[in-house]
Amino acid sequence: MTEISMTPAPSIHTGEAAKARLKKRHNAEKRLRAYGIIAISLAALALMALLYNIFARAVNVRTEHYITIAADIAEDENDFLKVVKSAAKEAFPFASGRTQRRQVYGLFSDGAADDMRNAAGAGTLETGESVERRFLLSDDVDLYLRGTFGAPEERDAQGSLTVTEDGKKILLESTAADFNAAVGVVKAGLAAQAERLREEAGRQTAGVDALTTRLPSLEGPELEDTKAQIEGFQAKRAQLLAQADALDATVTAQDSGRMKLTNRMPSFFVRANGGILKLTEVSNTTALAKPLVPSDGTQTGAWSLFSLDRPETGRPVKDFQVALIENLRAKDRIEAVTNWRFFTSSDSTQPEIAGIYGALIGSMWTMLVTFSLAFPIGVMAAIYLEEFAPRNRWTDFIEVNINNLAAVPSIVFGLLGLAVFLHFFGVPRSSPLAGGLVLALMTLPTIIIASRASIRAVPPSIRSAALGLGASKVQTTFHHVLPLAMPGILTGTIIGMAQALGETAPLLMIGMVAFITAVPEGVTDSATVLPVQVFNWANASERAFDMRTAAAIAVLLGFLVVMNMLAIILRKRFERRW
Amino acid sequence: MTESNPPLPRAKFQCRGVNVHYATTHAIKDNDIDIYDKSVTSFIGPSGCGKSTFLRCLNRMNDTIEICRVTGDIRLDDVDIYGSDIDPVQLRARVGMVFQKPNPFPKSIFDNVAYGPRIHGLAENRADLDAMVESSLRSAGLWDEVKDRLSSSGTGLSGGQQQRLCIARAIATQPEVLLMDEPCSALDPIATEIVEELISSLGETYCVVIVTHSMQQANRISERTAFFHLGELVEYETTHNIFNTPKDDRTIGYVSGRFG
Repeated sequence: MTEISMTPAPSIHTGEAAKARLKKRHNAEKRLRAYGIIAISLAALALMALLYNIFARAVNVRTEHYITIAADIAEDENDFLKVVKSAAKEAFPFASGRTQRRQVYGLFSDGAADDMRNAAGAGTLETGESVERRFLLSDDVDLYLRGTFGAPEERDAQGSLTVTEDGKKILLESTAADFNAAVGVVKAGLAAQAERLREEAGRQTAGVDALTTRLPSLEGPELEDTKAQIEGFQAKRAQLLAQADALDATVTAQDSGRMKLTNRMPSFFVRANGGILKLTEVSNTTALAKPLVPSDGTQTGAWSLFSLDRPETGRPVKDFQVALIENLRAKDRIEAVTNWRFFTSSDSTQPEIAGIYGALIGSMWTMLVTFSLAFPIGVMAAIYLEEFAPRNRWTDFIEVNINNLAAVPSIVFGLLGLAVFLHFFGVPRSSPLAGGLVLALMTLPTIIIASRASIRAVPPSIRSAALGLGASKVQTTFHHVLPLAMPGILTGTIIGMAQALGETAPLLMIGMVAFITAVPEGVTDSATVLPVQVFNWANASERAFDMRTAAAIAVLLGFLVVMNMLAIILRKRFERRW
Repeated sequence: MTESNPPLPRAKFQCRGVNVHYATTHAIKDNDIDIYDKSVTSFIGPSGCGKSTFLRCLNRMNDTIEICRVTGDIRLDDVDIYGSDIDPVQLRARVGMVFQKPNPFPKSIFDNVAYGPRIHGLAENRADLDAMVESSLRSAGLWDEVKDRLSSSGTGLSGGQQQRLCIARAIATQPEVLLMDEPCSALDPIATEIVEELISSLGETYCVVIVTHSMQQANRISERTAFFHLGELVEYETTHNIFNTPKDDRTIGYVSGRFG
């Protein structure tokens, strides 16, 4: 009797090798899934970063700043700029000299006069003498109030302050070392200056060395000249070093007396007796100050000290203006108000009164032209090519060309539009009609390709059924094929239109980049569009356009979302027909 | 041979020397056939023998295939349907067709049936149209099943119901001839039985031509049967004779199940 093994030999699909293969396959699947998740996470992260970046800046546009002062407005006033000026003069009578007066006027935006003109036009302007009214503040002041140039920093003020007039200046004496911080700032400034002087001295040394090496090869008057030059350099060097040493000595001295605060150093302000003073010379306990806002006569003895880190020369809002603003802010005369202006006004050179409305309407007109041209033409072309055209070399040629057109850089379409629409057909420059025509050309290939694909995807059995009932080709196409293809066609149209909405380059070619403050009332008026507005504002030098650029991008994205939602709703309606 | 020959109605279709080419393929080779009115005629034969192609010649559905070329003489009521004065669209209203796969439009049941009358302008008013839809659905034996949900989707019906809906849709146009291309091949046996009964009854009023793979089906429902092989009409006889006393060797082989 031979013993036979009862365990069956492992088959090719159950043995150890098979298990290993299975494990390998499972691992590969897991890896692939992980790659997918990583890819999606990266994409989502990039999107979040983009949206955060845009919206964090755009959200600043939600308010604008106003100042409330009294103004005399006559019943039949028409020079509102003058009203603003005289109101400003009235509010700040202490502004003396051209510079200060200009700085006072600089607080106000041209929008303040515009607002009054609009109100007068609407018959809602309150007139009379000393009417309390809100005036729009300029973009720089607006930025200052948002802390763009650094927020004013309150400093310790523990001692009691004695204020004595000392000629034009005012002498401040504190019982505590309250001006220490300012002294520290000055000393740091001096130390830095000393450092710069030493560097300059180093450059003189280098000059001396370079000239000395040339000496042996020179003779005659040239030699004399060079020697004189070397001496000049050496004298300069000695002078610079002496200056640096003197500065250093001041910095290290225990009590170096009062030192000058220049406008290249942080600014220090003192609020006392209802006025604001700016420190010009400081020691630890005393300071000389220049009155910016005169005292209103109160003698409470309470005082405070604040500083702005950014030097006066580094910011558009000067110390005098800072004093005026801080004074009024303390009196609750400055308020932030919801900014509807951004959505109701058009472009302007002044950021605080520039808005998106004109570009939004321009985009709407342009999209209207684009859609009403590209959609019917694109769909008709697709229907002809798919349902009616014979398949031959010609239709192949057309198909290849349409596919190639989809890949043509958009600026080329702009050049074409310039040459054909503007120069040959005389379409008005900068008009939504011209822009719409160019964008329609650009969008056509996308719509045709998507429409053809979705028409081709309609089952042939539907066509046979209709033809078999005696429907003509046209009836078959319009009753059955087109409704079934419509969701796909709409998807393609959304993609094309979204592309067109965000397109800038071809519109630059046909003049839509022009500075246009009017809201277009038709397709032949001059207009600009959202992406071009973004482009223009991004190029503008005024800081305040920065947040408006972001807000314009947000509006553009919103426009896109609304447009896509509309298309999706339409698509859903078509899909619901079974 | 006296009992099974039904009385011959007049020939609805007279086909002489019909040839069909697909590009370089010769699909139908010089076939002659007469198809009679008010009866059911079956086309049988192995796959690719040309029976469907021939069927599609009868309502010029082959016109929609670009590479297809039809020559020969096909007469419907003594008029050449490939004549220059014949509009293929109008012809298809007279010669209705039901396809292999049920293909209702993705519309309501009512709209499916009403589509033919609508595009041909057969109904004077809404009441007329309603009556037409009802009678067509009744003829297709579907009325009782769908009368309460005429506005629901035609694609929501079961396979058998969908095919009967397609038949009702074809009848609604009031054709003279009904072509059916393997109408039961996608249906289960019970649905097949219902559709077969329907076809038999339709044969009393229409000229019905049916392509089928099932010899039993041809046997059950048709008066005359044509056997195609490799594009050739091999034998055309009464169904009884084809299945009981076939003359050609190929027919014998096919009906006895030796090939096919």
